[in-house]
Amino acid sequence: MSDPKMKFLVVDDFSTMRRIVRNLLKELGYTNVDEAEDGVVAMQKLSSGGIDFVVTDWNMPNMTGIELLRAIRANAQMSHLPVLMITAEAKKENIVEAAQAGASGYIVKPFTAATLSEKLAKIFEKMDKKSA
Amino acid sequence: MSDFAGMEDLLQDFLIEAGDLLSGVDNKLVDLERTPHDLPLLNEIFRGFHTIKGGAGFLNATELVTLCHLTENLFDKLRTGELQVTPEMLDSILGATAAVRSMFGDLERGMQPASADAALLNNIKQALAGKLTGRAAPAAAPAAAPAKPAAAAASVPSGNEANGPDWDAYYHAVTGVTPTGKAVATPVSGNVPAPQVLDVPEQEEEQHLSEDSAQKIITAAVGRRATDKPGYQGPPGGRREGERQRDNSIRVDTSRLDQVLNLSGEIGLTKNRLTALRSDILNGKNDTDTMHALDLAVSQLDLLVSDLQNAVMKTRMQPIGRLFQKYPRIARDLARSLGKDVEMVLEGEETEIDKTMIEDLSDPIIHLIRNAVDHGVELPNERMMMGKPEKSIVKLEARQEGDHIVIVVSDDGHGMNPERLRAKALEKGLISDEEANTMDERQSFNLIFLPGFSTASSVSDVSGRGVGMDVVRTNIQKLNGSIDIRSEQGKGTSFIISLPLTLAILPVLLVCLGEQPFAVPLSMVREILPIEPKEVQELGGRATMVVRGEVLPIVTLASLLGWPQETVPEYGVLMQSAEQSFILAIDSFAGREDAVIKSLDDFRPKGVAGVTTLSNGQIVLILDMKELLSSMGEQRVATRAQLLLENRVASAA
Repeated sequence: MSDPKMKFLVVDDFSTMRRIVRNLLKELGYTNVDEAEDGVVAMQKLSSGGIDFVVTDWNMPNMTGIELLRAIRANAQMSHLPVLMITAEAKKENIVEAAQAGASGYIVKPFTAATLSEKLAKIFEKMDKKSA
Repeated sequence: MSDFAGMEDLLQDFLIEAGDLLSGVDNKLVDLERTPHDLPLLNEIFRGFHTIKGGAGFLNATELVTLCHLTENLFDKLRTGELQVTPEMLDSILGATAAVRSMFGDLERGMQPASADAALLNNIKQALAGKLTGRAAPAAAPAAAPAKPAAAAASVPSGNEANGPDWDAYYHAVTGVTPTGKAVATPVSGNVPAPQVLDVPEQEEEQHLSEDSAQKIITAAVGRRATDKPGYQGPPGGRREGERQRDNSIRVDTSRLDQVLNLSGEIGLTKNRLTALRSDILNGKNDTDTMHALDLAVSQLDLLVSDLQNAVMKTRMQPIGRLFQKYPRIARDLARSLGKDVEMVLEGEETEIDKTMIEDLSDPIIHLIRNAVDHGVELPNERMMMGKPEKSIVKLEARQEGDHIVIVVSDDGHGMNPERLRAKALEKGLISDEEANTMDERQSFNLIFLPGFSTASSVSDVSGRGVGMDVVRTNIQKLNGSIDIRSEQGKGTSFIISLPLTLAILPVLLVCLGEQPFAVPLSMVREILPIEPKEVQELGGRATMVVRGEVLPIVTLASLLGWPQETVPEYGVLMQSAEQSFILAIDSFAGREDAVIKSLDDFRPKGVAGVTTLSNGQIVLILDMKELLSSMGEQRVATRAQLLLENRVASAA
């Protein structure tokens, strides 16, 4: 499942953060990365298709990460997409909220490429199991 | 992070983006003071600190994270209505933004910022604990429901993965059963091994933050392994480089870069066409069709190059709003310390201006704003007595007028009193009695630009040292700009700064003295007229000419440059600057040109603004008329006889 050509969508309103995530993904060999600055833009990009994996920040204007996650899960065409939530908070209620909304993973800022790799591996593992 | 080299690049990005964000936060805080219950505003400020914190985490700027985290928590409580904004709290928050800014400064110098001022941190913690409004109410309702399963989930061991909680265990805990809060607790405790300490703080702890729990929160938020700390103390050698990088980097809209790319592509195509035509012509092909094609290609190249120049220039253009953003905060702080009620109004923030100018304008505008707040506007009770609204308005606006950018700093204060200004200048010995008597209003206002002039009878903390306004004017003139004052007593004062769109390209008129061409800024040229000896009159010992009813002195270019005058000048160029109009007498002129200025950084003779290269390869000096005029003093005055060389025989004899 972890095809290096798979297309990631990195959603964050802070462009420096998008760049950080993009660099980390690149370090892990994923070079096909698109960006969106909030949930609304992300939904537009997602509905035009071609995205295999969503990595989203939580706290954004217009449409937050959790709203985006819910919108993805509620959309038949996208509901299968893995969504990794990024947040600066390790607050329990956030984590629970993300899990209930159907997040595939949750990662706390700041993180290293190694941590990201672990998280991705776990998500891929789960997806492989599901599809198997 | 494994590769720290990559981080330095990120650091620059972060500083620019986070710096903008912080300026925005500063402004929103000033707004918040007026509308303390504005929820969208509170949310935006919250998000600002949150975003800075997130980025700072990746840079391992622990102290920055700590500070932002505390402030963010405060805003979290403000937006949920758990706490209310108080003036004391706002002061602490403004202190926090100042501290964040100084930490950015440390990062910029390649240093890991030290901890923020303990008193400041303590103040924020006090505010967080609701010390000012009594003990904070328990967590808001929505948090209560998920709190239970979360508490259970919190006992999930973090294992050797210190980076945040173990997601899988949580996920399991929540999704493994019906996702109603209550039922979750049981399977979790059954599913997982013995509890260990998890670095997520208890919800309750967060409400009365002790030093310890604050530290825990930070640890939780940062979630670092001990080995993750590379100790970014910044190599001493990296410091200067960091500064330089910051100064030289610029954010450009990609569409503008695309345009540059397109144009350079087009130019490449046209060049290919020209190369082909050259071979044709060298091979003796010179029929009309070939010549026509050559003509066409050259005109096209002409057009493309000027488009490219414009497009490249545009990449240097930045919205002036970036500069304006920081002023409301400055005005607010100053007004507060002076006991005045001032609202800063910004207009035309989207106006674009050359990046170098933005940097050089920063200090002059700060000075003008300080002046407006300190000297311009009155105290609230004075305003009341005069029937003005208590709150005074200081307005900062920018707009483009033709090929100029106009920036206006205006206040609705008591205006300037020309008589008092003259008396003051006289008293300081800056002008003579005679000068004082002949001065009109505008000249009187301009007195404040004289070095050593200060109208405040007592030197105040913020302005009034008398070193400001002349520096303001010098700085603006360095940018080829001018500054003008308009003031009406009782109504207010406006400072009007006029600047060229860019410093890189200057439209010039080429004038000749003998065979030698010189360039003068076209912006100063009003018209060109022939000098007819019979129209030259002598008035008060100087040669003048009447142009449309206006008597204008004639200044020869030769005398400005200190050259001997060898011929009777044939043409006059009517030059107009902010201070005066005059006729520049020249021998001939060679046309106009868009000069690409090459500055003479290390070697700058007085009166020369720079050099440019003409189409024929000749190098031409660009004259700085203002500097030439001021350096020549009274010597530039020529009598009619001197101008027309009528005494030549006599003086030679």
